[in-house]
Amino acid sequence: MSEKHQHICPRNCYDTCSLISTTVDGRLVSVEGNPAHDYTRGRVCPKIMNDVAKVYSPARIRYPMRQKHRFQGDWERIGWEEALTMIAGTVLALKEKYGSTLPLALNKYSGNFGFLHNAMEWLFTGIGPTTRAVGSPCWSAGVEAQAFDFGRFVCSDPLEMAQARLIWLWGVNPAWTAVHQMPIIFEAMDRGAKVVCFDTYFSATAARSHRFVQVRPGTDGLLALAMGKVLVEENLVDPELENYSLGLPEFTSYLKSEIDLTQAAALTGVGAETIRELALSYGQTHPACIWAGFGLQRYVNGGQTLRAIDALGALAGHIGERGGGVNYGHFETWNVPGFPPPEGQPPDRLLDMNRFAEEALACGEPPLKMLWLAGRNPLSQDADLELWRKLVGQLELVIVSDLFLTKSAEAADLFLPVTTHYEHWDLNAGYWHYWVGVNEPAISPLGEAKSDLEIAWDLARRLNELEPGSCAFPGRGSEKETVFSLMTPDMLTLLGLNKPEDILAGPVRARLPAVAWSERKFATPSGRFEFFSDRAAAAGLPALPVYIPALNPPGEAPLRLLTPHHASSINSQSYLDEAKDYYELHVNPKVLQEYEFRENEEAEIYNDSGRLPVKLRVDPTIPEGLAIIYPQDSGSGHPGLNVLLKSRGTDMGKLATGAPGLALNETFVNLRKPLSKGA
Amino acid sequence: MIKQLGFVLDPNRCLGCGACVQACQINHPSSPLAWRAIRTVEEQGPEGRRRFYLSTACNHCANPECMRVCPQGAYSKRRDGIVVHSAAKCTGCKSCVAACPFGAPRLNPLTGKAAKCQLCYERVDQGQAPHCVRACPTRALQLQEIQSLALDRLVRLTAPLPGLKLTNPSVYYKDPRMVRTEQK
Repeated sequence: MSEKHQHICPRNCYDTCSLISTTVDGRLVSVEGNPAHDYTRGRVCPKIMNDVAKVYSPARIRYPMRQKHRFQGDWERIGWEEALTMIAGTVLALKEKYGSTLPLALNKYSGNFGFLHNAMEWLFTGIGPTTRAVGSPCWSAGVEAQAFDFGRFVCSDPLEMAQARLIWLWGVNPAWTAVHQMPIIFEAMDRGAKVVCFDTYFSATAARSHRFVQVRPGTDGLLALAMGKVLVEENLVDPELENYSLGLPEFTSYLKSEIDLTQAAALTGVGAETIRELALSYGQTHPACIWAGFGLQRYVNGGQTLRAIDALGALAGHIGERGGGVNYGHFETWNVPGFPPPEGQPPDRLLDMNRFAEEALACGEPPLKMLWLAGRNPLSQDADLELWRKLVGQLELVIVSDLFLTKSAEAADLFLPVTTHYEHWDLNAGYWHYWVGVNEPAISPLGEAKSDLEIAWDLARRLNELEPGSCAFPGRGSEKETVFSLMTPDMLTLLGLNKPEDILAGPVRARLPAVAWSERKFATPSGRFEFFSDRAAAAGLPALPVYIPALNPPGEAPLRLLTPHHASSINSQSYLDEAKDYYELHVNPKVLQEYEFRENEEAEIYNDSGRLPVKLRVDPTIPEGLAIIYPQDSGSGHPGLNVLLKSRGTDMGKLATGAPGLALNETFVNLRKPLSKGA
Repeated sequence: MIKQLGFVLDPNRCLGCGACVQACQINHPSSPLAWRAIRTVEEQGPEGRRRFYLSTACNHCANPECMRVCPQGAYSKRRDGIVVHSAAKCTGCKSCVAACPFGAPRLNPLTGKAAKCQLCYERVDQGQAPHCVRACPTRALQLQEIQSLALDRLVRLTAPLPGLKLTNPSVYYKDPRMVRTEQK
């Protein structure tokens, strides 16, 4: 018998697609895009086309397992009761020994962005004050920059981009990472819009644009300020701006006195005449839309870069304009209730997600003793991997709940198999478009896999069996009812629904204005667009958007390493049929000459954190000081890309997201022959 | 022949994402060979740079060379122009594999017989688009009736000219745009 079910792709991705699956006799056979969703438009990306194979992959773990010795791979299958008893026993023993539940830590993020995956947080809150990872490895600096400027980070409905007459795709590569935005951009082109792509190398999106502007890494803020100066000099500043902004005189005087076009051209690599020409077209074309990507802000000056781009948009009067704006993302549809801590429960101990191992090792009394990783793979994706190894050494129990044996699972004592979004209920929202939708189970869980929520209930029950009252989170419930419980009156109003059950009818677009800040009333303390931000100043940052240089490569590691997302993977979630056992390093042909390498030759990149074998590829569009790896999953025997990564923070992020972002793009390496084959 | 169906690709909308190739493979699991492939073309000129992707499969030629050379009569051309290969008649002699200027038919190692894109003719018969066209997220790849197209605005980029003259492939591309880049 054939059946259809609705799903939402739960990946950390702009598109957050609405999907429709087909099952035949209880088996998933195909997944298609939902035609009723105006962003997904009935199509899926190539990643999702592999979903059926992923669900039934022989590599997927279907039963709870215990590893007798960490990193040895000597896994043995165990039963859920044994696994739960082991975890509950450790929780209670640690609580007894330390007189506190703070030795228990949860590190969870975006492996599955469904709201029911917050269940692990609810469980930990039910156990007591615990240690948590806060912040985001992704977008923190930009979120905070937009919070300073606009009061909140909000983007217009992405469909509005079709109305633009000029589109600037700045440090964003939707041809690979948001394919559903591309038809909207093409629609604007069909209507005569010009599309300019700003990036450090000629990306797949640059190839589909009218014009490509190559910017030196970390200088995008300076480029925006230089164009702002041209707008001021050419009298192209929005005449109304004075009425809805704060600090415009201070900002224009900064531009006049501190920004020099010739110097900006030298630093950004964009010619002074080009800067002028771009600024004029941006100032004279309405509507003009900027989409600022996440890569831009993964520098030590990343927040300032976003503030400079916001300021450029404001100067030209594009903020609040239909088909305009400076668009980065939003969290307007993410306000769902958590599990409230029992009254009087002391606060959790919060650790910066990007420096988790370092901060965990530095924890005073009580030390960290148990770690649960859910929806995260930090031993692949985090910085400071040596510190992670050290941290693992001090832990009494490491639990990983996941679909596959990830790099992090290699460090685990217990592996708990979880369900995919074809096997459980969930509620999902996007951070780019404005849709919210329910995710239905289409098939029974594979093997003994359980959803995060079921695992949370089961463990809560086991804890209370062993020690009554030890966990305030309930021991049972219904996934579907839990979805309804997230449909609060506020959420119902936002979605224009009458009752929680109405969400079952299909995904709903939130009833938010399609154009961000169209009233030009902002959520800042002044209610205005803030060129001058007291809150930034209070946080020890410049009050104005100013140019602060990114890092320069040190002499011993002259190549900046960028790791933009590949079309076939999201972080360590790969959608390739087979993992490669090597990384490809893309460099300018001149770099090969300089280092006396040939294309396709094996080499090694290294810095003071680690070394990584690579195969060399050439790309003449990559500047000479740059090396690019598109991070794809590497086989388990491989050291992993992040051996090269240090946990350097971005300038902003703490106020808006709880911790600074990760300045990933400030990673520098050198190149040499592989040691094993070299001298 | 009453009409000629063929693929039309707009390289200015093609992201090279491979959804078409994957959709073809997933829906034709009997063949380990991909019937559709993507070729990247990259050029640097004085004005700028051009990078585009050619998603190609069997071109369902007006004068199919595979059909002409097949000693078994395994190939036939439908009234809608689709060139169909019959595995039942095929003996795996590889004449078509050698003759096709585009490398469309290839030997399926599992069956020892030739195989190629059949343009999902069962779907076309039901008024549905072929899997590759259905999967394209930007609608860059389309199936159209070739005679009804304004051919002056289309270019042919598939293969060296002798092959084009010989077989008259039913596939067209819109002119790929040059991306303006700054002079360095």
